[in-house]
Parts: sequence; structure tokens; C-alpha cells
Amino acid sequence: MQSANMLLRKIVRSSVLPFAAQHGMKKDLFPLSRTLSLSLCLKQDKSCEPSEKLDLDAWKKVMKSGFQEEVSETVSEPKEPSSLAAASEMLEMWRLSGRLVPENITEEQLKTFMECPSKSAKKKYLKFLHLKELYKKRKMDKKMERRLEAQDQDSKTDETKRNSIIYLQTSTMDKAYNWRAAQSMIFGQPLVFDMSYEKEMSDREVANTVRQIVLSESCNRRSADPFHIHFCNFKDDSLYHREFIKQYREGWGKLLITVTDQCYTEIFPKDKLIYLTADSPKVMKTFDHNKIYIVGSMVDKSIKTGVSLARAKRLQLETAALPLDKYLLWSTGAKNLTLDQMMHILLTLKDTADWNKALEFVPKRKYSGFVNKPVNKPVKELKKTLDLINALKLRKRPEEVQKQFAKNYPKKYKLK
Amino acid sequence: VQPPEKPLQAEEWNKLREDCQPPEKFEEVMLNNMIRCNSPIDVAKSLLTDLAKRNGDIAYNVLVKYLTLCVRQGQVSEIRDVYDIMKVRFKVLESGAYNLLIRGLSNSDQWRMALTLLEEVKKIMIPSRTCYESCIKAASCHQEMKLAFELYDEMLAKDVVPTLGILQSFFDFSRHMKDEELQKKLFGILLYLRENQIYPHKTFMQSIKLWFESIPGGNWRGHLTNIKDSGQCPVCNHQLEDSNLTEEEYSNLSERIIKDVIHGTDTFRKTSPQEFEAFQTFVENQLPFDIVIDGLNVSHIKPRRMQCENLFDAVNCLAKENARLLVLGRKHMLRNSSNWKIEIMKEMQNKADFFFAENISDDDAFLLYATLRSGKHCKFVTRDFLRDHKACLSDSGMRHLFRKWQRGHQIAFSASAEGSIKFLPAFRYDCVVQTTGDTWHIPYKDVFEEKYSYQVPTKWLCIRQK
Repeated sequence: MQSANMLLRKIVRSSVLPFAAQHGMKKDLFPLSRTLSLSLCLKQDKSCEPSEKLDLDAWKKVMKSGFQEEVSETVSEPKEPSSLAAASEMLEMWRLSGRLVPENITEEQLKTFMECPSKSAKKKYLKFLHLKELYKKRKMDKKMERRLEAQDQDSKTDETKRNSIIYLQTSTMDKAYNWRAAQSMIFGQPLVFDMSYEKEMSDREVANTVRQIVLSESCNRRSADPFHIHFCNFKDDSLYHREFIKQYREGWGKLLITVTDQCYTEIFPKDKLIYLTADSPKVMKTFDHNKIYIVGSMVDKSIKTGVSLARAKRLQLETAALPLDKYLLWSTGAKNLTLDQMMHILLTLKDTADWNKALEFVPKRKYSGFVNKPVNKPVKELKKTLDLINALKLRKRPEEVQKQFAKNYPKKYKLK
Repeated sequence: VQPPEKPLQAEEWNKLREDCQPPEKFEEVMLNNMIRCNSPIDVAKSLLTDLAKRNGDIAYNVLVKYLTLCVRQGQVSEIRDVYDIMKVRFKVLESGAYNLLIRGLSNSDQWRMALTLLEEVKKIMIPSRTCYESCIKAASCHQEMKLAFELYDEMLAKDVVPTLGILQSFFDFSRHMKDEELQKKLFGILLYLRENQIYPHKTFMQSIKLWFESIPGGNWRGHLTNIKDSGQCPVCNHQLEDSNLTEEEYSNLSERIIKDVIHGTDTFRKTSPQEFEAFQTFVENQLPFDIVIDGLNVSHIKPRRMQCENLFDAVNCLAKENARLLVLGRKHMLRNSSNWKIEIMKEMQNKADFFFAENISDDDAFLLYATLRSGKHCKFVTRDFLRDHKACLSDSGMRHLFRKWQRGHQIAFSASAEGSIKFLPAFRYDCVVQTTGDTWHIPYKDVFEEKYSYQVPTKWLCIRQK
């Protein structure tokens, strides 16, 4: 009996009462009467089994009793018939069930969500929003941290603030960069971004493209000898345009680049143009300072091969691909690189003509090492062994393999 | 962590909770483990009780996990209780919970409740195919065939693809029934299999066989068999359908191949307009061919031989009985190199017509076009499965037509041990569910046999009426 009482008291204390208090139902005797009945059934339980026993269904009573009032509230609320509200309710439930769903969602995003053609598209979109929210939160946290740190430092050393060398430096650097960019607009080697792929991409791909171009432009501006960037086939009020304004805001008008709706073939002589595309059958050997390279402004998440090659074919332009296989031991991933990686590679080539140095900008996960570098000899060796193992597996020409093995390895390893 | 075997007291749960990192995840981790180990339901209940007393509330995801455990153990009254609690506590439920509830209730005597739940789901979204499966199975299990078929038609109307389990349950539960309407419906399902080129698995095939044999007064007899290469059924000597398309299907398919596969979004991606035009005039002038050969594909058959020799062997092999051959290749084959000798190429050009595409053009698309233009008798030779081209076709109907045509017209080949090339002739018959009214022939696959989209089953069920 004592234990039952304990239990009863606990229930009253821990759950029902606070809830009732929350709803201003203190005077209502309802929760009490419920607990009374609860104690009754507990008593019965006890009578049949003298040992200490748990009431396994106690949680149900708690769950049911706690929310009786809430129900009456929700019923009195006018039911929202709009599908938007229903969708957001649905999202809330998904979030509760532990799916990857953003906590806050705008009406616009909700509409996009509802327009997704399939269940998996919906799931993907929600996951995207969820991750975006997560990154944003993390960024904000970091910002706050930094701000706090900065405040700490400010209070410690007031002198640096007065002695504003740092501020001066950034603004002078900006000026210097702009000066170089302006010079490049007169004397620099042109580099063309072909902005004619909007139809091939989804909205998100266009946004990603623009983000990559912004990164490329900034690294170009900071380089010692920038390219003169051309945006060709650029239509006003296109999706590209809108995204650029989103990214640059008022800076868009002040960029030191050439933006035109003309095609590159109208601006430059055809024989000087080289279209860079991973699908090209020709491999680039050296960087030519007299040519004009074209990069397609396209992010291609749904493997559309040959789109930019088709464009070059149509205009009868020369094409080239980076010599990735010649210099790198490729392991995984597509051979198409992001636009900012292309920009880094081209800038490095222009300055140094060193392929090994330029191809450092290929993401490390995509290759296992450089072909010629002495440091990576083990990799080469490894490849040889792998080939050998494969040959053994396929049981091709066993004598030949054995001979090769004997040549490569000391006597103590023997093939059986 | 191993879930406990008996219900625990609050203190004991506390002890366990302290060991868990992080403690907030304790319930989730514990319930997941319970589901994995299929722990007794009382243990989960004691955990929930402890949780309710701690927080005065139980989170939705915890309830769903508990529900999973109940469904797995068929605890119908518990499922109902959880549903009541959820309904009181939340305005709507999400798909996961509905799936579980419907699955749990449809297996019990409260299966009608699953139907009302299905109605509830329909208000907020399109129910999943497994929801429909549970309900249809429940309805047909209780001999409510009309209701089951209503649900089936409804899901088809909503473009929800039925599972094989649903289709099988119709056959399982319609045995020994003498009902014309029902029979028609089941024949309809067999035709659905035919249209969508679905092959039943072994147990499904057994259900079909048993149903046929159980029809009162139907006198159907089923036999398992293998069809001869000639396309004749050894049991009833019936000749199976061939894979020829009708005139209309044929012209539709060639049109779509040109439109979707060759041109696609941009003609320049696979060829160029000039090249395609040149190819078209070439083909029109030389029509019709008997066999179209993918030259580069054939030339790689034996890696240690010169590529042009491989091709030469293949052409010699196929050039019997005045068959008109077309070999498709690329321009680089004409340049004298270690793999391509001009003399051999010249000799081959006496025996067959050649078309050389640009080195960066896609020769497969030309292969399809030339074969289709030559007519129904024309076959093509390649080891390629042509899956990428099938994928270019925009609708599934066309893809089915393409597959059907491919089965009947593709000659595959392999290098035999003695050094000659063996050609595997195209199917003389179409591998698809088919009927003549008093016979049915149904291809099926063994469950354990791996099946790729290009493979067709070799085993058949022959059903005939005596």
C-alpha cells in the first residue's frame, strides 16, 4: 500500500498537477478524482499480487488525463481548411517523429514543398532546408562567439583600436585589387563565362553556379595578374541575373568585369577561342596566353554529359579538357570541377605554367596522388600490385604473371 | 546496451539512464534496441511508465517506437490504446504512424478499423503502397473481394504501383469461387503483368496455378516447363507470340528514337545535324539491311587480337546467305593504326556496307535508327544492353515497346573457348504473360535467381483448359 501511495503521490506531483496549474484549473477537482480512481485500481492490483508490482499501464492514464482539457480547446478552435496549414501541421509531426525537417519554414518554402512532384522530392527538399537551417545556426553561434571575443579584446587593448593600421590595410588592399582588376580590363587576358545554360539547370543549380562564380571572381580579383572576366550570353532579368544581385547586392554594378548579352563568337575571333569541357576528346597540353578560354557556367547535378561539348560543336570551336589523367592518379568522382576550382587552376597555370601546382586545386578526395611526384612512388607500386592481384584473380596467363611476380619481388614470396 | 528482460522500477531505469551517453537519447536508443531484440512488451511499458512519471508526457517519436514494437508482436489492444492516446494528444499523425497502425490492425479482427484509418490518411496525403497492401490483404482475407478490388482500382487511379504481394493475395483468396466478375478481374491482373512486363516470382506463380486449377468447372491444368528456342511450348505445343510490333507501334517507336534518343535536347550532343542528314540519306539509299553491326563493340570481343581482325571474323561469320550487312563505325577506324589495317578494312567493305561516324559521335543511336528503318526482319549485333538509350525515351510505354523490340531483334555474341565467335540468336518469341483464351503462358522467375532488366526468365507456367 505504501508503495502504491508513493506512486500516486509521484504522479500527482510530477505530471497532472503542474499541467492543471498551467491551465488555470487549480480549483477543478477533476485531476484529483482521477487519481483517486487510479489508486483504486492500484489497490486491486496489489490484492492479487502481494509483491511490489509496477502498474504497466500507468503511462496511458497520464497521457490521457493530461490532455483532456487541451482537446476541448482545440475543438473550439475553428478548423483551418487551407492546405498550407495542413502541410505545416504535417511537417510538425514529421519533425516530432525525428525526420530531418526544418524547425521554421516560410510560406514560400512551404509552397515549394507542396509543389514537389514526388514523396522523395519532398523528403529531399526538407532535408535541404533542415541542413541549411543547421548551418545557419552554427554560423550565427560562431559569429556571436567571435563578437564576444572581440569585445573582450577591445576592453583589454584600447590602443589597437585607435591605431587603425588593420582597417587602413583592408581598404588599401581593396583599392589595390580594384586597380589591378581595372588594369586587367584593359590589358588582361580575357576569360569567358558562358551564361547560356539556364534552361539546363534547376533553380538550385543556378544558385550554386552563381555562388561558384562569385567565389571565382573574388579569387581572380585577388590574384597578382587577374583575367579580364567576360560574362557572355548574359540576359538581363534572367535567373542568373537575379541570383547575382542577391549575392552582390549593390556591388553588382561596380564589378570590374564585362557583362554582355552577346555571344563570345561575336566579340572574339573564332580561332582564338577554346571551350573548356571535361567531355572534350582533346587534352590541354599547355596554357596558351594568346587564347581565350571559355568556361561553361553550369552546375550539373543530374549527370548531363556532353551539353557544353554540344555547344562548342554547334559553334565549331576548339575544345580542351584538363589533363587530369596525365598528372593525377584519379580515384573517384566526376572529372568536372567546380567553377572556382577551374579559376584557381587557370590562374596558377597563367602565373607558373606548372601543372602539378595548378592541379593541387583539384579536391583531394578525387585523386590518390600525383603521377610523377617521387613522394607518391608507393602509390605507383601499389597500383602495380593491384594489377597483379587482379590478373591473378582472373587467372589469365598464369606463367606470365608468375614471371612478372618473380621479377618484381624477392624470392621469399612465392606464388603457389 | 542490452534491453532488460523484465519490467524495471523507476530506480532501475534511472541507473541504466545514467550509463547512457547522452542521457536525452536514452529512451530512443533503448526502444530501438527493444525493437531489434523483440523484447517483451511489458518491458517497454515499464519504460514508458517511468518516462510518463518523470516528464508527465511522452514524446511522439517514443510513442511511434513503442507502436512499432506492438505491431511487430501483434498486440492489437495496445495498438488501439496507442492510437487513442495519439488521437487525443495530436491533431494529425504522420505517415510513419499511420503505416504502423494500418499494418497492425489489418492483421487482426479489427481490420475494418484499418480501413477507416486509410480513409483518414487519404485526407492528408496519398497513402503508401504498403498501406494499400495491408488493407487489400485484410479485405480479401475476409472474403470481401469487392472491397479489395475497389481499393486496388483506387490505388491504380492514384498512380500507386501495386506490390506483387497485393496481386498475389487476390489469387490466394479467390480460390474455389465461381464468380464470373471475379474471374474477369483476375484475368485483368494477368494482363496488367503483361502490359508492364512484370514477371511473377515462384510463389506468386504457384498462387496463380492453384487459382486456375481451383476454378469450379473450369478444367484448367497448369504445368511448369521451359520453352524451346523455337518458341514452342513442350506441354501444349503452342507457338508463343513473337516480339514483332504492330505497324503503328513500329512507326511510333522509330519516331521516338529519332526524337528522344538521337536529337534529345540538342542534336549536337550525340551527333550533328549535317552528320545525321548524311546518315539518313545513306540509309535510305541502301535499304533494307538484314543485320546492322556495331563495329566498335564487336571489335573488342577478343582483347588480344587486332580489333579489325575481330570485326573481320564477325563480318565473315554473319555474311552468309547473301545477308545484307551494315557496319557502323567511327572515322578513326579508317586511319591506318596498329589496331586498324587499311587492307583488311578495304576487304571488309566489299562484303558489307559501312558508315563511319565522327569520332565524338554516338554510333549506337545510328544503330537503332538503321535497324528500325530496315524493317521488322532486321536484327542488330551488339553486346551493349542499350540501357542508356532506353532511359532517353520519355514515357514508360515507349520503354516497354523498346524492350520488347530489343528482345526480338538483338543478336548478342560471345567468344567461345576454341577462338570462334558465337552468336546468340535473338529470341524467336516474346517473353511476356500471354493468352489465347484457352491457354495462358506465364514466365516466372525463381526468387533466388538474380534478375537484371535485360535478363528474361527461362521458366514458364503453361496453363490450358481441357
